[in-house]
Amino acid sequence: MPFLDRKALTHFNWTLFLLLMLLAAVGIFNLYSASSLRLDQGVTTTYFYQKQIFWIAIGLATIPVMIFFDYRHLKALVWPLYGVTLGLLGYVLLFGTSISGASRWIDLGPISFQPTELAKVSVILLCAALLARMPGPVGWRGLSKVLLLVALPVGCILLQPDLGSGLNILMLAGGMLLFKGLNRRILVTCLIGIPVIAPIAWFFLLDYQKERILTFLNPQQEPLGAGYNAIQSKIAIGSGQIWGKGFLEGTQSQLRFLPAKHTDFVFSVFGEEWGFMGCALLLGLFCLFLYQLVVVAGTSKDSFGAYITCGVFFYFFWQILINMGMVLGLMPIVGIPLPFFSYGGSSTLINFILLGLVFNISMRRYVFTRE
Amino acid sequence: MHDSDPREPSSRGYLFLQILVLGLFCLILLRLWHLQILEGREYADKAQQNLLRERSIYPLRGLLRDRDGEILAGNQPAYALGLVREDCSDVPAALSRISDWTDLSSQELEKRYDQRKDQVKPFQPLILISSLSFAQLATIESQLMNWPGLQIITRPQRHYPEAPVFSHVLGYVAQANKQELLDNPDLHPGETVGKQGLEKVLDRTLRGHKGRKLLEVDAQGRVLKERIVTSPEPGETIRLTIDADLQRHIWREMGEQSGAVVVMRPNSGDVLALVSKPGYNGNAFVEGISEQKWQKLLSNPRDPLRNRAVQSAYPPGSVFKLVVSSAALKRDTLPLDEEFHCPGYYRLGNRVFHCWKEGGHGDVALREAIKQSCDVYFYKLGEKLGIDAISEYARSYGFQQETGIPLPEEHKGLIPSREWKEHHIGRSWQKGETLNTAIGQGYTLTTPIQIARYVAALVNGGHLLQPKLLRRSEPEQLKRLPLSGDELNFLLQSMRATVEEPHGTAWRLRRKDAIVGGKTGTAQVIKLKEEYQDKETSAIPYKFRDHAWMASYGIRGREKFIVVALIEHGGHGSSAAGPVVNSIYEHLFS
Repeated sequence: MPFLDRKALTHFNWTLFLLLMLLAAVGIFNLYSASSLRLDQGVTTTYFYQKQIFWIAIGLATIPVMIFFDYRHLKALVWPLYGVTLGLLGYVLLFGTSISGASRWIDLGPISFQPTELAKVSVILLCAALLARMPGPVGWRGLSKVLLLVALPVGCILLQPDLGSGLNILMLAGGMLLFKGLNRRILVTCLIGIPVIAPIAWFFLLDYQKERILTFLNPQQEPLGAGYNAIQSKIAIGSGQIWGKGFLEGTQSQLRFLPAKHTDFVFSVFGEEWGFMGCALLLGLFCLFLYQLVVVAGTSKDSFGAYITCGVFFYFFWQILINMGMVLGLMPIVGIPLPFFSYGGSSTLINFILLGLVFNISMRRYVFTRE
Repeated sequence: MHDSDPREPSSRGYLFLQILVLGLFCLILLRLWHLQILEGREYADKAQQNLLRERSIYPLRGLLRDRDGEILAGNQPAYALGLVREDCSDVPAALSRISDWTDLSSQELEKRYDQRKDQVKPFQPLILISSLSFAQLATIESQLMNWPGLQIITRPQRHYPEAPVFSHVLGYVAQANKQELLDNPDLHPGETVGKQGLEKVLDRTLRGHKGRKLLEVDAQGRVLKERIVTSPEPGETIRLTIDADLQRHIWREMGEQSGAVVVMRPNSGDVLALVSKPGYNGNAFVEGISEQKWQKLLSNPRDPLRNRAVQSAYPPGSVFKLVVSSAALKRDTLPLDEEFHCPGYYRLGNRVFHCWKEGGHGDVALREAIKQSCDVYFYKLGEKLGIDAISEYARSYGFQQETGIPLPEEHKGLIPSREWKEHHIGRSWQKGETLNTAIGQGYTLTTPIQIARYVAALVNGGHLLQPKLLRRSEPEQLKRLPLSGDELNFLLQSMRATVEEPHGTAWRLRRKDAIVGGKTGTAQVIKLKEEYQDKETSAIPYKFRDHAWMASYGIRGREKFIVVALIEHGGHGSSAAGPVVNSIYEHLFS
């Protein structure tokens, strides 16, 4: 079978691509606003938005590579990829380069590499392969198998410690399981069991993680301590009101009230400058993007493709929900970025790689070949 | 459209995903509407005018009181001038204006600004002047509105009502330096920390905990509203064992002389007075001492910053004969009644060692030798004992080790030994040096507090106590002297005889209403030059005069006191230290 036939190429999903480019473009403009003000204060010498453009360009370049082969060949690579991921995660735990207390990086000379990002790809692929093979709703055996396999890399990631990414992976696997459908008894057990287990999990959180959750529950208690971010973010967004203060006019970010405004809190800058109208439009854009992923999953040619797309859907869904939720003061502060908006090389690149897979699946939806 | 299994994945799954997307859209949109439209005005107000700032509320530093409750270290309000960089549009202009208001030069202010600017968090005031006078306060207060970013900060400041008298007990607080800021993360630049004395030792207890308040300020940094988040906790008040009246009395009696006096209760170890002269004015440090004044203090030949009772060690002179005697008692080196003949000198090889009394004391036994402080007797005794026994016993009585009084930088003193000399001087021990050690001259060094503790142990039945300055602490016994009751009694009686009997060197302490025992000592500063020998003390230049010691105890009924005095360059022990000690007993027993 040829790797890329012309027929598949004509079915490229231009709708999804357009949405992607729109989001990336708005993201860059917003990052320009978020980072140029940092320059005025002389805090940094790098234009974050320029670096982001560079990473988006690299990301775009990966799309042709990602659609070049038939995604069904990936089934054979699922286990080796999983093994490599575990190996690298273990390596990072033992020998990784530490950045602000968390050891996440493998130093490859000029570039450094986060195995956590690889884990996102391999967990999605592994779960998709496992779920595609299981008949009917997931039972106890299937559930425990999937959860165990996911727990290994997630455990390593939590130990780094990187709560945000760990949760993201765990939740996307959970989403995929729910998408497939769980045995009724399991559903009931989960509904009862999770509230019981949650307090126990509390003991395993690190102090700063506990503090963040407590701060979320009562941000006014320590407005300039841990709750500072939450309060300042709400003030910035709220003060945008209906129409916003305009591009580059956000006062909160200018006066450096907003922390981490080019990374996790980048949406507050957008909210302050573009107001409710801008935010609603952006939210709509994100939802259309997610909906488009649902469409790709629904039209994919086989269940493996459907599950991969579902995994990618949840990967983005949780990030959007948790990041916006935290910026808007609905959720505790967890280090989860907003896709296409938050500055970050590794995460931008992985976004494009995962979407490349989705394009791959989408364009092969009409290929009728039996194996 | 699906290949092998059309039910896989089920359509319910897709419905689930669609509901999630719709749910996300509704949830976030609702929240945005809530924040930006419903409460948008409020947040806009907060953003534009009402910016939150945090400020510390300074706790009162714990008081230091004397044993009867009199305040020795208190607090008074002080006004500091701070600058918030974020609110100040033109820092150099503001600094030069501050220089007009005060007597500080622009350069000095710029130096302070540069030193402290990196240590101050955003929107926190950088303290430029920690204590403004009332005149300065009035000037600045009226001009403050024209200088956004400048502010007056009111905070409690340490105050020592009678600074020099208690200076060496209390120590002082001053602005924390870089190292102290690193060691104490809760200290901010411009805040004070204990630097000497009890202020240093008890700093953590006295400091208390800062409270926090939130200020809502406008774009110019003007405070609109404030809310207390946590109240400050004042530091603990501490009762000392010091008797303020006694301390003041001693301070007066010592006059202009340099030296130290320790008054102690032998059974509890309570230090009733600890005077070291000259003292210094701790308040000058609190307000920020000028470079010039600081240099003057450092270069003062009388070294007012040194606590002579604890941080200085002196040759003990004849006071040390008590220690040598007790070693002799223990060793059974000689029967108590064995007499030596003192012709006024002692010959060792081809060297001649003189007794302080020309013509000598005649035949003397140990008791008489202590009483008259006969050097020749102790030369012979020292020779018999040998340096090894003397230094071993001296150490077992607590010499050459800290007494553990809660004051910083205590001097350990020095008891020489063969090993010590070989290690530090590089030459072997000479027999003549044993003779000098036996009369407390030569290398031996003791602090007044060590002598006081030793005499206290003689009086309290042999318990070597840790001297107490804090009232609530329990007496802590370090060890027992290896002396029997009879032996202690012999030493006490010899000291009593030194006061009460004819020819006793401490006759100045004699009184009718109490039992007093004492021992004088004269510590040679240098070997007197020929030209000054046989001269009266007043005829010898100050820095060549000997140090005068008086170690004593006084008992009336159940009241027992130890008084030790050291007068630097005072000349003879009895004549220089005697009157001061006598006046102390006068105060204690009246």
